[in-house]
Amino acid sequence: MIFPKRVSIGAVLLTIILASTLFAAMNFFVHKALAQDEQSEWVWTQKNPKPSWWRWDEKYYPAKPVRGGIYRTAASRYIGLMNPNHWPVNDWVSMGNFYEKLILTDGNYRSTVPFLASYWEYKDPVTVIMKLRKGVKFTDGSAFNAEAIKFQIDWIRDKRNGAWSRAWLAPVKSIEVVDEYTVRWKFKKPWAGFLGIMSNVPGYVLSHQGLKNDVILRDLKKAQGQAKRLKRKLAKGGEKAKKKYEKAKADVDRLTPMAEGIVSLDAWGVGSGPWIIEEAKPGNRMKYKRNPNWWFGRSIGHPDMPYMDGVLVTVIPEPSVRLANLKAGKIEALHIDKSQYPLVKDDPNLNVWITPGNHVTSMVFNHAEGPCKDIRVRKAISHAIDRKAIIKGTQFGFGIEASCMYPAIHWTHNPNLKPVKYDPELSKKLLAEAGYAKGLTIRGVMGNDQSSVKLGQAIKSMLAQVGIEWKIRTVDPVSGSDANKNRDYDMAGGGWAWIYDPDLMATGLYHPDGGFNYGRSNNEKAIALIEAGRTETDLVKRQKIYWELEKILYENYEDAWLFWYVGIDANRKVVLGYNREMGMAGQEGYFATHPGWFKDGHN
Amino acid sequence: MKQYIIRRIIYSLLILAGAIVITFIMVRLLPGDPIRAAMQQNVDLNDASIVEEVRARYGLDRPVHVQFFMWLIDFFKGDWGTSLSSGEKVTAMFWRRVPVTLELFVGATIWAWVLGIPLGIYSALNRNSWLDALFTSVSVFGISIPVFWEAIILIYFFAVFLQVLPPSGYVAFFENPIENLKLVLMPTFVMGTQSAGGLARYVRSSFLEVLGKDYIRTARAKGLREKAVIFRHAAKPAMIPVVTIIGLSWGGLIGGSFIVELMFAIPGVGRMGLDAVFARDFPIVQATMVVVSLNVLIMNFIVDITYGYLDPRVRLIK
Repeated sequence: MIFPKRVSIGAVLLTIILASTLFAAMNFFVHKALAQDEQSEWVWTQKNPKPSWWRWDEKYYPAKPVRGGIYRTAASRYIGLMNPNHWPVNDWVSMGNFYEKLILTDGNYRSTVPFLASYWEYKDPVTVIMKLRKGVKFTDGSAFNAEAIKFQIDWIRDKRNGAWSRAWLAPVKSIEVVDEYTVRWKFKKPWAGFLGIMSNVPGYVLSHQGLKNDVILRDLKKAQGQAKRLKRKLAKGGEKAKKKYEKAKADVDRLTPMAEGIVSLDAWGVGSGPWIIEEAKPGNRMKYKRNPNWWFGRSIGHPDMPYMDGVLVTVIPEPSVRLANLKAGKIEALHIDKSQYPLVKDDPNLNVWITPGNHVTSMVFNHAEGPCKDIRVRKAISHAIDRKAIIKGTQFGFGIEASCMYPAIHWTHNPNLKPVKYDPELSKKLLAEAGYAKGLTIRGVMGNDQSSVKLGQAIKSMLAQVGIEWKIRTVDPVSGSDANKNRDYDMAGGGWAWIYDPDLMATGLYHPDGGFNYGRSNNEKAIALIEAGRTETDLVKRQKIYWELEKILYENYEDAWLFWYVGIDANRKVVLGYNREMGMAGQEGYFATHPGWFKDGHN
Repeated sequence: MKQYIIRRIIYSLLILAGAIVITFIMVRLLPGDPIRAAMQQNVDLNDASIVEEVRARYGLDRPVHVQFFMWLIDFFKGDWGTSLSSGEKVTAMFWRRVPVTLELFVGATIWAWVLGIPLGIYSALNRNSWLDALFTSVSVFGISIPVFWEAIILIYFFAVFLQVLPPSGYVAFFENPIENLKLVLMPTFVMGTQSAGGLARYVRSSFLEVLGKDYIRTARAKGLREKAVIFRHAAKPAMIPVVTIIGLSWGGLIGGSFIVELMFAIPGVGRMGLDAVFARDFPIVQATMVVVSLNVLIMNFIVDITYGYLDPRVRLIK
């Protein structure tokens, strides 16, 4: 007999307590395991270590997150085209709410933060193995896996789908499914910009089912058009035409029931992100509800993420009215105009954040013809511009003097370069040397928006001080594009916004293949470096190439870089969860992974 | 009367045809390629075939006269093309937005009548009084004040300072009637005051003219009460020319709606048209112009017919 004949009450109690504790512990671990159901580990490597901002404890934010509330914000426009691969995309702010990227960028705009792609490795310069995150589902229930990614990439590359992002994937030879969560990329030639592109438009992952539905809609539309055309030709066409018509008609009959009830991704975006579209009224507003199964929150042990119940984005085109909404408490956050800074800086209800961005404003020269072919003229112009005064006068003091094309916070910027000094006397001397002692007249083009007009006037008056008459044509963006294409200028307003992979900007402006070059700049050393930068997959070596490229452009006064952008954001103090230091260090990576919350769970 | 109506219809159709042709040609005569420009705002495109593909998709690769006739045929079939900006059918976009703009028009017209007509009548009846001077000044102020300035002052006063009205936005009446009325109160007022000033001036001078007529003097001489003189004998003839200004101001409201819809973030036809002009979105610009022209022409037609009905002399003019 192994059981004792008499059992004391104490022993029974002790057993119950022990069993309950064991049960609670088991429950906790099972719950924890379920919460992280089959998700891949976050892979940080020696080359790509875990960033300092990758944390959600009290060092991230002292207050505990609270669930609830609707976050209200404003957009200047929302046209209602929700597939980022379909032109023209103007709803980037909305896209980020329901689509997620394979790789995110960090505070220096490097594509280093694993997201839907958990790990990647260059096997050789033309092959990349990419592991995908497990346990992710699109909000329409379809699974995120290697098949889904292959389908999307092939969909973009298929001409019939009209994806403007197809050009970005030109170096891709093929994408293969290795296993359920692994794909193998093959490139036509070594491609260093791959990671940058995966953090950009083609890297937004769209619902597998949604894309399949779009293919049905596409084929149905085509078949309907064919059937309509062929029907008209039936009488004259004979047997051949009849057969063709019957085939088209059969396609229509086959596809019509399949297309029933389908809404295109263009009108209703579906991804795997923290928010799900609840209402979409183009030109008016967009409502999102919380995705209760958001994979990311569960993967880091915070299943309450996102903390708010929903998001409401209202379209308010006029900046002063957007600010009125913020001040009236009708919206929680806003990217504000620089001129409005005095109106918000002392508002006790608002937090105001001043942050450098990755845009550059410059003057571009026509090196192909006219006086700006001469480096002395370009140099004279560059030294005649007082960048500090421009920032003060046209940017309300918010801007950073630019020394070259990549902003100081971008990983490719050469920190040894200093902004060109304002020196009108040197300019006059250089102009005299170039044979323009009695003055010089150059042609120019500037945009017709208020900011460009102001900037143009400021530079025009600075150039006049050294004897240069800059004849500016103020044009709308469409005409400006034509002037750019025809090189109908000596010096024109220019710049670049959203600089992610450095090759896009470098090629765009300084390589003969570039969409903004049109033969205006043809610097052989720069071209060689741009081509080297496209193929160098080692991040450190690639960084050195772009440092060198900036040096070459700087020394040749290729363009006159004026200032790097600084943005101002304001949010109502009821919104918590923003750690400034970590936000700066992580930028896109941080914002996608650290959703805010309301102080008391409501607005 | 029948002949008069037929004549007016023919004139209206000719004007509409002219508006359609001029708009179509002018939009295309502007320098620049909208497809290339808009695509380049997004990315450096090395592949020119993509640009050509998009251009072909919208039929912009065909000769202008072919584009025109294709568009015209489709337009009258009810297919107004596809927006270059959103890829959405223009007809669907209009259907969504026309009721919004119509609500603003109706609201603005009510404000214009409520403010303009009593002010004009009161000024006429109390000619040269201090109130007449005040109302005249207010009317002139109403006519000359810029729409955007009036809008922003009202928004900051009622929404930010007093916090009694929402600053901007739109909710359909059937979705939330109270919120809808709150949201359209300021924009319709702003549009209404623009017309009310002119209307008040017109009503005042029209009344003054009628009040000086012999039959008014006769009516007073036979001992009629002043109320009866004004409302029974003066009001109807005085309102005949006012019909014209009411009709014309309805046509003019569309101009105001472009700015008002922008300021108050109202998703109506005006804002869509304005956005399309900046984006060089041909199909929307063309459709907007036709709708705007139709709106003005229909209102003018109604005014002409009403005027002809009220004043037989007009019908006799060949």
